[in-house]
Amino acid sequence: MRRFGLSRILFNLLAWAIVLVVSFPLLWTIVTSLKPQTELFLIPPSLLPGEVTFEHYRKLLLETRFLTYFSNSVVVSVATTVLVVAVAVLGAHSLVRFAYPGRERLAQLVLFTYLLPSVVLIIPLYLLLVRMGIANTLLSLVVAYTTFALPFAVWLLRSFMAGIPQDLEAAAMVDGASRMGAFFDVILPQALPGIISTAVFTFILAWNEYLFALVLVNQDSSRTLTTGVITMLVTSFHIEWSMLMAASVMMSVPVIVVFAFLQKHLTRGFGAGAVKG
Amino acid sequence: MTHAEAAARETAPRLKLSTKDGLLGALLIAPTVLIFCAVIVYPLVSAIYLSLFSIYTPTLKGSWVGLDNYAALLASGEFWNAFWVNVVWTVGTLVLQVVLGVALALLLHQNIVFRSLARSLILFPYFMSTVVAVLVWRWVFNDLYGILNHAMMWMGLMSMPLDWIGSMPNAMISVILVGAWKYFPFVVISVLARLQTIPDHLYEAATMDGAGWWGRFTDITLPQLREVLFIVILLRAIWDFKEFDLIYLLTGGGPVTATQTLPLLVYKQAFALNEMGGASAVAVLMMLFMLGFMLLYFRYGRATES
Repeated sequence: MRRFGLSRILFNLLAWAIVLVVSFPLLWTIVTSLKPQTELFLIPPSLLPGEVTFEHYRKLLLETRFLTYFSNSVVVSVATTVLVVAVAVLGAHSLVRFAYPGRERLAQLVLFTYLLPSVVLIIPLYLLLVRMGIANTLLSLVVAYTTFALPFAVWLLRSFMAGIPQDLEAAAMVDGASRMGAFFDVILPQALPGIISTAVFTFILAWNEYLFALVLVNQDSSRTLTTGVITMLVTSFHIEWSMLMAASVMMSVPVIVVFAFLQKHLTRGFGAGAVKG
Repeated sequence: MTHAEAAARETAPRLKLSTKDGLLGALLIAPTVLIFCAVIVYPLVSAIYLSLFSIYTPTLKGSWVGLDNYAALLASGEFWNAFWVNVVWTVGTLVLQVVLGVALALLLHQNIVFRSLARSLILFPYFMSTVVAVLVWRWVFNDLYGILNHAMMWMGLMSMPLDWIGSMPNAMISVILVGAWKYFPFVVISVLARLQTIPDHLYEAATMDGAGWWGRFTDITLPQLREVLFIVILLRAIWDFKEFDLIYLLTGGGPVTATQTLPLLVYKQAFALNEMGGASAVAVLMMLFMLGFMLLYFRYGRATES
């Protein structure tokens, strides 16, 4: 295969054909979102838009509540990420660098909760949030998202931080740094790539969350993108396909941005059994 | 996981730092523990407690019924139907994910042109929202205007458009397919990472011994992938078993209850039938089913880490 030009070309063609077939739904979304409404219902469907239009995007941004949902999603995802990563960095550092009774049990508890199904927690959480009077708010979603994001972040950061050599921290302390001083000056900078990956994965988890958003928020002004887009564009009588595809593309933009930004770290985080399914 | 943890274990015997400052360590983990107790441990315990009550969702009024919810579930056809649907979905989608995942990992391991773009395209479904993935597939599956029906009719595979979502067994096949498409990249990336660490000389030796590509795959690649595949299959089995979004959004559990898995049954009981106690009982039983897999992962997943 390495020696013959022709078989190499054929292999490349075959490989790319497979890649394109697998990623066809992604490309089809973009194509559909750019077609004029009338072209959508052509039989047979046209593979490329006969005429490219951004009308659906314009309508979505200007004439619907899409931007409200979008900003709700941003607020909830950013708040969850900041809260969870801050708490998890301290927790993970404690789990890998300190000795106290119950440390191993705690690590096991983190793993257990990381695998725990959300549906088990959802009913008590719903009752709890209703009793606290914060149902239907963005805050209730941040609280709920912590249930899967925190175990995930602690678990992932723990494996990142265990890889930092202890000698560095010890050296800093020989030079007179306190335990916390060494943490801020030595550990944090070393752990930064891991912290960034964890933050990005946490953001994506929160951004894509659906079940809690469906159950906990029943009020249009606090809906996130995942539930908002569906209630807005899908009814039992009619589905707005063009707008739905345009919304799908726009919902994916933040994910594409962080995805591109993180390409080189991906293998690492994934290898850690990282992203929740 | 492997690298980092291995490094930690190696230094473990001369762990000087961690023998001091236990109190500071406890202080640092305190926020995590507090949040865990409030939003995970407390709800978990109260889920078990709630499953012993009969609770009407709109008023949240309940009365003690003991183990009646469990007795009723274990005797009900709908519960066992959901259980078997769950098993079929999990096994079906998992098998496809692993086969597709290993195949594409092998492909992406080759030196093809624009490899990083190919990798991004293949991995992206895993990162996109399930909502988006399902909407896109519902459009592809659409019985009148969907591209899938037209493509298949054009290729002469069938003469009439198929109803991919509203009838059986198509609905189950569709759910399994979309699940495989959404989650196989997890297998790809785990396997890809492992493939990069298999030493080339193993393949060279096998080639010299006259092994063809299939021989090299079964004699070298597969045995080397055994551990990572075991972990990946365990994790995906746990995650697929508890999947809610994908199935709920694609078929809603239908037609009737043909694709209604346990998580969907929990949701339906709690928020459509307004029976929170019964729903909690389903959730607790579901967790018990999953516990076996979790314990396996605890034992072997963490063992292979070190």
